[in-house]
Amino acid sequence: MPGTKLIIIGAGVMGQGLAEAIATSGNEVTLVDKTTKLAERGIKGISESMNREIEKWGLTESDKKAIMSRIYPTSDLNLSEDAEIIIEAIPDRMDVKKDLFEKVDSIARKDSVFITTTATLSISEIAAATERPRQVIGMHFLNPVTKIPVVEIVKGLKTNDDTFAKATEFAEMLSKEWITVNEYPGFVTTRVICPMLNEAMHVLMEGVASAEDIDHAMKLGFGFNVGPLTLADMMGLDVVMSWMENLLHELAEHKYNACPLLRKMVRAGRLGVKTGSGFFRYDEEGRQLGPATHPAEKEKTL
Amino acid sequence: MNILVINCGSSSVKYQLIDMDGERQLAKGMVSRIGMSASVLTHKAAEKEEVKITREILDHIQAIEQVVAILLSPNHGVIHDVNEIGAVGHRVVHGGEHFTDSAVIDDSVMRELRNLIELAPLHNPHNIRGIVACQRTLPDARQVAVFDTAMHAKMPPYAYIYGIPYILYKRYQIRRYGFHGMSHYYVSQRAAAMMGKDRSELKIITCHLGNGASVAAIDSGTSIDTSMGFTPLEGLLMGTRCGDMDPAIILHIMSREELTLHEANTLMNKHSGVAGISGVSSDMREVIQASNEGNPTAKLALDTYCYRIKKYIGAYAAAMNGVDCVVFTGGVGENSVNVRRIVCDKMDYLGLKLDLDLNKTTRATETDVAASDATVRALVIPTNEELVIARDTKRLIDGD
Repeated sequence: MPGTKLIIIGAGVMGQGLAEAIATSGNEVTLVDKTTKLAERGIKGISESMNREIEKWGLTESDKKAIMSRIYPTSDLNLSEDAEIIIEAIPDRMDVKKDLFEKVDSIARKDSVFITTTATLSISEIAAATERPRQVIGMHFLNPVTKIPVVEIVKGLKTNDDTFAKATEFAEMLSKEWITVNEYPGFVTTRVICPMLNEAMHVLMEGVASAEDIDHAMKLGFGFNVGPLTLADMMGLDVVMSWMENLLHELAEHKYNACPLLRKMVRAGRLGVKTGSGFFRYDEEGRQLGPATHPAEKEKTL
Repeated sequence: MNILVINCGSSSVKYQLIDMDGERQLAKGMVSRIGMSASVLTHKAAEKEEVKITREILDHIQAIEQVVAILLSPNHGVIHDVNEIGAVGHRVVHGGEHFTDSAVIDDSVMRELRNLIELAPLHNPHNIRGIVACQRTLPDARQVAVFDTAMHAKMPPYAYIYGIPYILYKRYQIRRYGFHGMSHYYVSQRAAAMMGKDRSELKIITCHLGNGASVAAIDSGTSIDTSMGFTPLEGLLMGTRCGDMDPAIILHIMSREELTLHEANTLMNKHSGVAGISGVSSDMREVIQASNEGNPTAKLALDTYCYRIKKYIGAYAAAMNGVDCVVFTGGVGENSVNVRRIVCDKMDYLGLKLDLDLNKTTRATETDVAASDATVRALVIPTNEELVIARDTKRLIDGD
């Protein structure tokens, strides 16, 4: 695995986390996005994430410098031509993923493996956009990638054993534990966590308890590191909603209906940590400042 | 046979090429400041001028490539073909309980070395990177791992056991291992030679003071106790390591600062010690300079550093029922006049007293800097871990 040519497509939060994890493991990686500016923004994000780690005593400046030197930002998708492993980390929408995989399939060498980091979408459907469905596999990393020690390795209908072995080797290179998932909507982690987040939103909307108290109780009561509403804010409320809609669409069960409060907040553009406000308020560094007044409460006081 | 000795530290790679017929050093050098903007490769071939190359070298793999390249270079090199390097001896910090002697490296040894990373997070990964880089660059040369822990393997159980449930020792091999074995071994041998005695007649306290630092009590040639423990974190205050402290402190900090295990580990290994107290540097020369210029935290770091060493000398004199000589080695021990002076100040009850003038002029040469009326010798001895590694590498390759 060391020396393997790796390329990540998509320099958003997931792409940044993966690039940082790969470089921290001592390997080099190319990070592609549509424009040089976007790729550079990815690099800036990685740098800021490592600065936070230095502040928490987890890293030194010289560690950071060596790690950053292993990440190459670019806007040239043609660099995937000779990559052995191509990792897709673009937004979780089937149409854009299919477009990208079709395009990369025509560029990349025939023996390279494609990894999609989708949290809910069908690997088999994504793979069908390529001429190499046996070499396509899902690896669902959770954010923040550098901190969460587990990854779901998702086999599509046609994924072959060699591809699976490459994925496990990649997971081990990053020092991640992995679980095997046979493709099914939502895999394991997304499917189990989404209804819980949704239910916490219902509890808040129905006025049962405050956002702070809901999170407080779930943290202390069940040993979670963060409460469900904070977790939803961290994931991005738009992302949580799109996952719920995907589960509803695929599994057609009432329990996957997104909470009306969630829909309302997404429509209002209150998407959580990334917009500075969700169920709680955040500063620019992403530190929680306190509870936000949510639309349901506002209506009550009016 | 020529043996290449590789010693990968946290921010440096030291190397020597030794012709084992006559133990003649063909070339030696060091890549320092790895990971910083101006890394320096210092290379000296025997009977040639030293060359110094400054460039950015970001990790140990790049460093080893540079070392092999300069050994082969037409201008500064000493060999014409990589095959002239018959074997590579690697310093490996932690051998755990698995390695009680040096080992020829194969796949199973590599696996075992990786398992040991947890025990020495600041060192073993760099040692392994050095091995991997050499396997890539010198695929035909045999590789041998020589461990820092082996010298201390004969320590009595009451010196190596910790005061925690015994079952944890059985389950995880949690015990004192000690480190810097090659250095303590080499300087104790040289000390005996300088005193014209056999090691079996002597009680020696060896202080290896480098970026990492440890003290060993060597009674009749056997290390009976040493300040580093389960990992190289225990004992003296070091460049960036905290050394001895109340273990409850780290639990308290973890809870107050909400640190993960990894962050707590890095805090103690990379952000503490002389650098952590002084806020100036992990380099003792810079700390002493700042202290002389009146920087109060630099002075505090220097005083704390020396006080810890003094305490260990006293403890080990008690453990051995006496001491015949105290040895100073390692970068700081060999060169720092101030550290030797502060450590040995007011130790005359023990019979340890320096000739201050001689101490002041002694740097990195074998010298007895004790006052003429002192009953305990104070020896400055430049260490030579590389020679110990080369000899062991030859012994294993020959015996194979």
